[in-house]
Amino acid sequence: MTAPSGRRPSAGALLAVAVYAFLYAPLIVLVAFSFNRARLAARWEGFTLEWYAVALRDQHVLAALRNSVIIALATTVLATAAGTAAALAFHRLRLRAQGTWDALVVVPLVLPEIVLAASLVLLFAAMGLRLGFFTVVLAHVAFSLSYAIVVVRARLAGFDRSLEEAAMDLGASPLRTLRHVTLPLIAPGILAAALLVFSVSIDDYVVTSFVAGVGATTLPLHIYSMVRSGLSPEINADSTVLLTATVLLLFAAWRLEQGRRPRQVAVPMGLGLSLLGAPFLLAPVPLTGADRQLNVYIWSNYIAPETVRRFEQRHHVRVNVDVYDSNEALIAKMQSGNVDYDVICPSTYTVQSLVAQGLLRALDFSALPHLSNVDPRFLGRRHDPGNRYSVPYFWGTTGIAYRQSRVGTVDSWGALWDARFRGRILMLDDARETLGAALKWKGLSVNTTDPASLALAQRALVAQRPLVRAYNSSNFEDVLLSGDVWLAQGWNGQFARAMAQDADIHYVVPREGSMLFLDSLAVPRGAPHPALAHAFLDYVMEAEVAAEICRTMQYSTPNRAALALLPASIRDNPAIFPSADVVARTEIIEDIGAATVLYDRLWTEVKTSR
Amino acid sequence: MSPRHRQAVLLLAPAVLLLLVLVGGSQALMLVASLGRRSAYGGVTHDWGLQNYLRALEPLYVRVLARSVGLAAATTIACLVVGYPVAYWLARRAPPTMRRALLVLVILPFWTSFLVRMYAWMFLLRTEGLVNLALGTIGLPALSLLYNPAAVLLGQVYGELPFIILPLYASLEKLDPELLDAAADLGAAPGQVLRRVVLPLTWPGIVAGSILVFIPSLGAYLAPDLLGGARYVYVGSLIQGQFAVARDIPFGAALSFALSAGVLLALWLLRRPLRAGAG
Repeated sequence: MTAPSGRRPSAGALLAVAVYAFLYAPLIVLVAFSFNRARLAARWEGFTLEWYAVALRDQHVLAALRNSVIIALATTVLATAAGTAAALAFHRLRLRAQGTWDALVVVPLVLPEIVLAASLVLLFAAMGLRLGFFTVVLAHVAFSLSYAIVVVRARLAGFDRSLEEAAMDLGASPLRTLRHVTLPLIAPGILAAALLVFSVSIDDYVVTSFVAGVGATTLPLHIYSMVRSGLSPEINADSTVLLTATVLLLFAAWRLEQGRRPRQVAVPMGLGLSLLGAPFLLAPVPLTGADRQLNVYIWSNYIAPETVRRFEQRHHVRVNVDVYDSNEALIAKMQSGNVDYDVICPSTYTVQSLVAQGLLRALDFSALPHLSNVDPRFLGRRHDPGNRYSVPYFWGTTGIAYRQSRVGTVDSWGALWDARFRGRILMLDDARETLGAALKWKGLSVNTTDPASLALAQRALVAQRPLVRAYNSSNFEDVLLSGDVWLAQGWNGQFARAMAQDADIHYVVPREGSMLFLDSLAVPRGAPHPALAHAFLDYVMEAEVAAEICRTMQYSTPNRAALALLPASIRDNPAIFPSADVVARTEIIEDIGAATVLYDRLWTEVKTSR
Repeated sequence: MSPRHRQAVLLLAPAVLLLLVLVGGSQALMLVASLGRRSAYGGVTHDWGLQNYLRALEPLYVRVLARSVGLAAATTIACLVVGYPVAYWLARRAPPTMRRALLVLVILPFWTSFLVRMYAWMFLLRTEGLVNLALGTIGLPALSLLYNPAAVLLGQVYGELPFIILPLYASLEKLDPELLDAAADLGAAPGQVLRRVVLPLTWPGIVAGSILVFIPSLGAYLAPDLLGGARYVYVGSLIQGQFAVARDIPFGAALSFALSAGVLLALWLLRRPLRAGAG
């Protein structure tokens, strides 16, 4: 093979092409699916620009994108500057106990993110810092600083100090020497460090999820919060725009480096900058400290922007919606007490835990007249007797979705243990749900703490393991749609979306009974605007509003009065509203206190069994 | 203290302060937590002891740790084997005006969500995915590419490759071409030049890149969970689970300290080979 120049391309060049192809392969898929008509990324259903229109209108995601860019830029400047300075100092000082200093640099790399995350919340609380933008930047600097130090130090290693000394001997001040000799020499190292820092910051999820406060939701938080309702191609559209902007700017910079005049690169430069600037112009200005303001912390795709806007108009307030992505991050924030949310959306076991720790505010029922709209089946459950602290918002079930053409009709948990379907079964990756399925199959309670019952369930899961293709709690509906598995355990909301796309997929709550989940709205004890929070809780329990939320978000509403206002396609969908006898056979997963540790251990043993 | 010395201390101060306060401070809190016990609702009781560390040493958890070290080591080796030649090409063979742009292109995919890119890999690798479609068109049978250790390794290499290419680039870029010419003039075969000159001179970059790949790989959980189908437990998911599911913060903290101690001990034992070649 000959290259156009007549020279054979070197092995290095070929490898480089292969590596770029490897790095960009998933991006091609990502960009392609930003133009796909289907809601779920399982297959191609035709070209559309709809997701770009959605992305352009979605103020929550635009604000998240803007926050991400600001935080990543601030982190890059701070961490690269401090890291470069430290690397220079390490290089100059022959420090005693070098090992200790090395350890200080390496520890942030070793620490699992969640450990740093959980402990930083405690630290910020101890320092009296309210969670917000600033704490996110501080946390990002904490874990990305080491990347900068390690990279710049590697560049400095073996660096000839005689050049610096010569400059000083010739009368240059230390600052001039730094600027004109040292920095240019290590510039490639600084560039590499800055790129790495920017990358770890802009895509950080775990740490941000714990330390972000009011108005500081970033794009990764939004994406992870979307997982439980299925990632929308809107995210692909946003990512494509961001990529295009970066590539345009990169192209402009490359032409400049080649000696072009700024005027000659005005088009790509201007386009790139305006694409990057769009989220800054389109997203709402973050609010802090306004008096008539309500801070809501909720899963993404749990409330439509229009629903929020109507509340804003009625009460002449601004509502700040931050998205929620893990119960654990919520608990940590509530425990530390340094965050200003007025309304939160915890699941049942989290309500129990927050109530037990005295972190929720007792509700004032006189301000909640529309509570009477709520189906009594979802009131007064054991996680919050008398609903003193929480009102039900959405509910759902765990069940089995299956491909009928492959497995026939399924109505028992036993199908997930059927050896005929070896390698075609997916289970949730969750100790309570998998042990729960085995317990239900054996006719036991999902909240049992009896060691013998749990041992029985564990043996069932160990026996099942060779049949299981994958454990997955995030995009299980995609895996089912793609045909990789025929039977999947999972939650009804995501399956309902898959069923809308493929008529061969059916959902059943097994006859032995199953798990019911309930997400509630609650008011934290330290909520700055409790009266407004009550008004919001009452608002979403109004029949019309609850119906609108259910219609737009397609989750099961516990609001009895709203049912009559729903279209038949939703009301009669068994995956969204299972029949009364199905609901009667379900149990709510409760906080089982110390036995949680036992469940976790049994589950770890299942997954390490041979 | 000489002025130079004072200047160096000033340069060091911001980073050390940040690390001491944010990392040192937060980890001091975690250290205390690791000595406690889980309270009924997932808090920490003041019931101090070493029970969590003893538990971390149980065979169940040691197996998990060993598997994670294996994955991190395989990831690092694969990244080095692939990343070094690419970094070399980028730093020394690529057209000079394009080098910086090409370097940014290495990291650019990492500015989009890793989760979304992992979903895209699932789409590429699944039974009816694009890779198998391509194999089918050239007459090869479809392969089961997902949910096995190879898929986990692929996801890991994908996620870590830039973290080795960038430091290697920074270190290869400053290599003096005259040294290579001199070695060749003195009769060294290309292999000898590589082994005796290039590798020793770029050793600091190799060490830096390996550290930036190996250590974060120990905590990996997204690639094992999504591409591997979460069929095995790695220490990253184990610790994550202690905080997020079991809400056993003391045990999670103890696991994390055991991991950190292991890594620091390994770095200390290897300090001589790691520093060889560094100035």
